[in-house]
Amino acid sequence: MNLVIRKLIAKELYVNRWFVAGGTFSGAASVLIAMLGKTAFNIGALTWLTTIIATGVMLALYGIMNERKEHALQFVLSLPLSIAGYVRAKMFGLAASFLIMWSVSCAAALLLVFAHDGVPDGLAPYLVLLCVFMLANFAVVLCGALQALTEALTSAVIIVTNMGVSIFMFTVGPLPGISAHMWGPAPVWNSTFWTVLGCELAVLVIAFALPFFLAARRRDFV
Amino acid sequence: MNDKHLSMHRVRKNYRFFTLDDVSLELEPGQIMGFVGPNGAGKSTTLRLAMGMVAPDAGEIRVLGCAMPADQAAAKRDVGFVSAEMRLLPHATIEWHMNFMKAIYPEWDGGYAATLVKRFNLRPEQNARSLSLGEHVKASLLLALARRPRLLILDEPTTGLDPVARHDVLSELLDVLRDERRSILFSSHNTVDVERISDSITFIDRGRIVDSNNKEDFLDRWRRIHLQLPPGSSLPELPNIVGRVTDGQFVTLTTNRFSEGLRALIGPHVREVQRMTLEEIFVANVMHHREARGQ
Amino acid sequence: MLCIHSMYSGINISQTDARPMYLQIMEQIRARIAAGDWPAGKELPSIRALAAALNVSVITIKRAYLDLETEGVIVTRHGKGSFVAEVNGLAGELTEAKLEEHLAEAAALGRQLGLTEDELAVRLRRALKNPDKKS
Repeated sequence: MNLVIRKLIAKELYVNRWFVAGGTFSGAASVLIAMLGKTAFNIGALTWLTTIIATGVMLALYGIMNERKEHALQFVLSLPLSIAGYVRAKMFGLAASFLIMWSVSCAAALLLVFAHDGVPDGLAPYLVLLCVFMLANFAVVLCGALQALTEALTSAVIIVTNMGVSIFMFTVGPLPGISAHMWGPAPVWNSTFWTVLGCELAVLVIAFALPFFLAARRRDFV
Repeated sequence: MNDKHLSMHRVRKNYRFFTLDDVSLELEPGQIMGFVGPNGAGKSTTLRLAMGMVAPDAGEIRVLGCAMPADQAAAKRDVGFVSAEMRLLPHATIEWHMNFMKAIYPEWDGGYAATLVKRFNLRPEQNARSLSLGEHVKASLLLALARRPRLLILDEPTTGLDPVARHDVLSELLDVLRDERRSILFSSHNTVDVERISDSITFIDRGRIVDSNNKEDFLDRWRRIHLQLPPGSSLPELPNIVGRVTDGQFVTLTTNRFSEGLRALIGPHVREVQRMTLEEIFVANVMHHREARGQ
Repeated sequence: MLCIHSMYSGINISQTDARPMYLQIMEQIRARIAAGDWPAGKELPSIRALAAALNVSVITIKRAYLDLETEGVIVTRHGKGSFVAEVNGLAGELTEAKLEEHLAEAAALGRQLGLTEDELAVRLRRALKNPDKKS
């Protein structure tokens, strides 16, 4: 990967450092809180969810929309890179920023499920699905934000995708293959799990790849 | 062998409410070209086309020999771009930007950058968010100049600058031209500055190039001729008259191709022949062209 | 106090002067040559260096140098630079040229005022009688 793109990815991480740090800390802290008891678990779980969602929103908002709005886009585009290169740097940079926070938060949550006796191990498959869902969600937000040219459209993308989390919880949770084993002592990796996981991964890959074919091919960028 | 720094040939760009049409431009190394036009004429669009930020609907663009926008990554290695509406990355300091540029461009001259920081009265530790418009322009210019790029494309580079800062900026721009292998294309409303430092000048109006020539030729060829025609006398058929104002006996002609032959042709009624400032030439030129296009 | 001493620090282009920039530069160079500050054979600054120093376009300096060379005031040797011409009595020649210029201007003004040849001659004689009177 060439120097300019590498530097831009590093810049993305630098510019978003407070969101990433804050989100990572908050995600880990929520898990710690969840260890303390039943009510604490609910609070912790909610905070954990909110952190991951909010960080994703902030990254998309500031990473893409604001740069465009604040005319810093012209500065970046004056650097020796193509529009495709810019898209690449954005996607990888923001993905890296999100992944740091996401992986720490999800690892902590999984650790909680497996290591803590108070939380049934059966929750693991649902948790995994939830984690991958939020990653796929973020990829969709990125794709939409890069594609949308107006502030209104970008905001709409962000709002809709975040409604998706609630929809996930209301549709996937009650699935018989999932709900039956959620509070059991051992994780059950059944076909329902793999199907849902497969769908999520497909969405993730497509959403992440799409900008490289759409936005990157765009000939007018300002 | 195309050794021009910038060449645009019959470029067209369509927007919903505006069309840039039949734009042709050439910039040789060692030259400064001033790009002058009213607001909305298409200056910024032209410069963005040159930078590959926007792709033409027709025509060819070459920057430092590279086709745009296809080879823009290669071209931009040696092109510095500053626009008055451009902003640096918020939440990062000027110093951060300088280090960023230093990492990307091996030709970055840290010593020169430090000189410019002092000259432009900037503070490196200042956050981009807190810069005024003028400071933003100066900071962007600093980042572009310290790389010593072969070509500089500047969109209204003296916006928001007080007279001292403007003087400093123009002085730095002319310093660039000490090297005859470098060139500058800049757009400006400030015709006084353009008149002073440009080698060649291009006028644009309503999406079309109105005129393009070297500066001395422009200043040489345009004149206002003041006549006093006694009642009963008339003027012969005169070539190259683009404007005529009559106030009783007093007639003012504007010509874009003055010569002693023309003066002789007019005859004995000439009271005065005046040179025109670039601003006056520009306005007269645009009016003439709008008239010719039936606008 | 800021004191600048350099070869062309005094050369100045006035925005309010109606004459074209290249003419102003030519006149100031001629003045320095006539005064002897720029002696015969002295190398002139390079076109680009002078342009940068005066904050003027290169093309304006190029034109000034070209016209000065046509007048024989300077000599340009390709690849080496421009030099003050080594011609005897150059100072006298320059003053000669200045006289012609002023006389032509006086004639034009006289025409404008509607003076006859004799009336103009009267004015000239008056000026000769009072050489120190500056108007």
